Amino acid sequence: MNTRRFTNIILTLVLVAAAFAASCRGPAARPGAPTGGTFIFGRGGDSVQLDPAIVTDGESFRVTGQCLEPLYQYEPGSTKPIPALATECTPNATSTEWTCKLRKGVKFHDGTDFNADAVIFNFERWRFTNNPYHFESQVFEYYEYMWGGFDDASMITAVQKIDDYTVKFVLSAPLAPFLANLAMDMFAISSPAAIQKYGENYGTPSAGCVGTGPFKFKEWVEGDHITVVANEDYWGGRPSIDQIIWRVIPDDSARFLALKAGDIHALEQAVVEDLAAAESDPNMYVLTRPALNTAYLAFNFRIKEFQDIRVRKAVAHAINRKALVENFYGKYGEVATNFLPPLVWGHNKDIKDWEYNPELAKQLLAEAGFPNGLSEVTIAEDILDAEGNVVYKAGDKIPLTLYYMPVTRFYYPSPKEIGEAMAADLAKAGMNATLELAGDWPTYLGLRRDGLLVGLYMLGWGGDNGDPDNFHNYFFGGLSSENEVKEPDPREGFYANQEVARLLYLAAVNPDQAEREKLYKQVEQLLHDDVARIWIAHNNTPLIFSSKVSGYVPQPVGADYYEWVKIQQ
Amino acid sequence: MGRYLLRRLISLIPTVLGVTIVVFLLIRLIPGDPAVAMLGEHAARENVERIREQLGLNRPLFLDREALREGNVKGFFDSQYIRYLGRLLRGDLGSSIHRRIPIAEELKQRFPATVELALLSMALAIIAGLPVGVLSAARHNSALDHFSMVASLIGVSMPIFWLGLMEIMLFAVFLGWFPVGGRIDHTATVRTITGLILLDSLITGNLIAFTDALKHLVMPALALATIPMAIIARMTRASMLDALQADYIRTAHAKGLRERVVLYRHALKNALLPIVTIIGIQLGNLLAGAVITETIFSWPGIGKWGMYDAIVGRDYPVVQSVTLLIALAIVFINLIVDISYAFLDPRIHYE
Repeated sequence: MNTRRFTNIILTLVLVAAAFAASCRGPAARPGAPTGGTFIFGRGGDSVQLDPAIVTDGESFRVTGQCLEPLYQYEPGSTKPIPALATECTPNATSTEWTCKLRKGVKFHDGTDFNADAVIFNFERWRFTNNPYHFESQVFEYYEYMWGGFDDASMITAVQKIDDYTVKFVLSAPLAPFLANLAMDMFAISSPAAIQKYGENYGTPSAGCVGTGPFKFKEWVEGDHITVVANEDYWGGRPSIDQIIWRVIPDDSARFLALKAGDIHALEQAVVEDLAAAESDPNMYVLTRPALNTAYLAFNFRIKEFQDIRVRKAVAHAINRKALVENFYGKYGEVATNFLPPLVWGHNKDIKDWEYNPELAKQLLAEAGFPNGLSEVTIAEDILDAEGNVVYKAGDKIPLTLYYMPVTRFYYPSPKEIGEAMAADLAKAGMNATLELAGDWPTYLGLRRDGLLVGLYMLGWGGDNGDPDNFHNYFFGGLSSENEVKEPDPREGFYANQEVARLLYLAAVNPDQAEREKLYKQVEQLLHDDVARIWIAHNNTPLIFSSKVSGYVPQPVGADYYEWVKIQQ
Repeated sequence: MGRYLLRRLISLIPTVLGVTIVVFLLIRLIPGDPAVAMLGEHAARENVERIREQLGLNRPLFLDREALREGNVKGFFDSQYIRYLGRLLRGDLGSSIHRRIPIAEELKQRFPATVELALLSMALAIIAGLPVGVLSAARHNSALDHFSMVASLIGVSMPIFWLGLMEIMLFAVFLGWFPVGGRIDHTATVRTITGLILLDSLITGNLIAFTDALKHLVMPALALATIPMAIIARMTRASMLDALQADYIRTAHAKGLRERVVLYRHALKNALLPIVTIIGIQLGNLLAGAVITETIFSWPGIGKWGMYDAIVGRDYPVVQSVTLLIALAIVFINLIVDISYAFLDPRIHYE
């Protein structure tokens, strides 16, 4: 056998294997025979709606992600986009046109065909405000947010049908995170026939969701449970279990007790004591959802003292983040040195973290002209509310305030206690901050939007698609050309960094990932050097399982994989 | 009596109108708006504005004086309140801002759950509270009296979330008698007639579903019943003590009537007025939804959804509809209480 022929055989084998691998969803081999059974998952709240295009909450996507699929999805356990309903998408030379080959022979749960027309139907429904299925009562929040707007403002200017199984996306400008966007839960493809049939009711409990996913919608009893059943004809092979039930159990302790009593098989969100109990219980085990979130402490730059970098550095050195993580996040949290969590490419691990050093903080304050500490601050410029009324006048003296969040979010597990600990840390370094609860969650967010959290304030971010652009651009970018001037945004405490914004623009339009990575690392370094914000922690979310369950894959972003779940009967 | 009922029914109109105005105003007086609540950390000024417009939240609250100045009479009345009232008159409660699901549809599922839990809790509270109160009064200052009054004090002051979790620990986790929460097992199917699962499963002769639903009800009903039970016991005792001082009781004893007859037929009947009043008030409370009990026992009623979540999310239409429903329920209970007075005390007449 000559070497050439041998190479050919090997190549063929590799290609066949690759084709086979591409036809399977994810890395694990398909289970041979289904093991059956009902998998019951306990969660804190009900889904809002099962039409993913019009919702923003994780509890809705938890269900729609099993019922519907986007053109791309995320590799199991990571944020890398891999083909799903598309088999490949390739850009043109300037990255402004993407041609996607669609998977053939796939049917929606209602028996209709998945093809180019279905893709176009969905994208046009989301994009055009005068589309008959873009109902007035529905808010297509994520389409606007990820694709720049509706109608003519949309970055996707056309979705063209090349043939029945090929579509071309035409973009108004190069968009580097295109595939990551495409893979988001909200852009999963629904059956056009179902949308036509149910109209405005598509996604409500009476209609559910109709897609191509591994599980089909069965029933939704509001406030109680949602049931989906295995899709026998799933293109990736029938799932192992027969059905999934998501049960709503709002109370954290009651949910854990339900797992203990055997009423449910798995849960997300548990109090620290229950997690410890789960770890030592032979009938349970814990998996973590890798962190795609960051908790931060932000400065309002309309405060004169915060415009001095020495004061910001003093705050950074004063807060003992290691102790915060140990006490409030337990072993599931990690201290944040970047805005990007370590999982996301672009994370810069060379950044030298702020050392906890209250003495150094005091010294920096003294250098900045506050040898006796800081308990009162000065408004540098008028701050207006949404109606244009002056709320804070330039020159006003106000107490140094630390606003803490009124609700628990995944990135801040107990915001009030963490706020108290931060205030105590600040006091040790001579900064006497008043802790303030500005109101409930909508109030807090409203004040933040208008730049009216005047002091230090706690907030965070959870990534939507695993692309660094999705973290940085919303906060520090937003330019539509390289030379546009970055205006201070009230929503971000009036922070503006021209160089950061410029680099973020360049990174967003550059299709080369290696170059983008360099740019994001540079951005992280600039934000660090400028003490734009203090990154506090990333939180890996624990999930507790009954030891009867195996094969669950928690995703940092996108739908969890349930197809390989097996239950010991 | 007929004229009285008619008068009461007519007086409903101003009551309901008043409730709509107060609730409409109150929920809008709290700072923070639904669009911001909906967008969370993502909120940007432009999309908040667009959503406000889409939801009609940018319209004036009551009347648009600016439109009138421009000579636009129709625009003058195009306000949030008038739009709401117009829909209400057509029998349309509107849709939830966050979920875009018709509120009527959701209420149809959730209100029966609340009613079922409230009625069973109230039944438990009366069955246990009334005899305890009567006996305590009859054996005034006895050990039984002291014991039951201390027990009822504990009942009033016991935090429900703690009691609920203890019940779950004992009866669900260790003994395995009852499920941890929910209303009925997912395998059971009951044809909906009234929406009250216990009743529906009885009507259709579905005993398996009936037992299952009852098992789900026991723990939350017990937890929810503690407070009304204790209040009823204390009120019964106080009212009975008063009644037992009356001359007709002495007469009854002197006639040689049996103790039981004196207690229940003579004293209790006269002592019932304040007890019925308090039962009415307590039932109103239970129907307004039990946020904590519903949370602990994953009970899909109106409390957590319609009161807590909707207020926190500024879901105006949901808060308005649920409050209106509760107000109607309370008016209805009051009417029944008033009518029952006439039966309990023949001296009371309604003209």
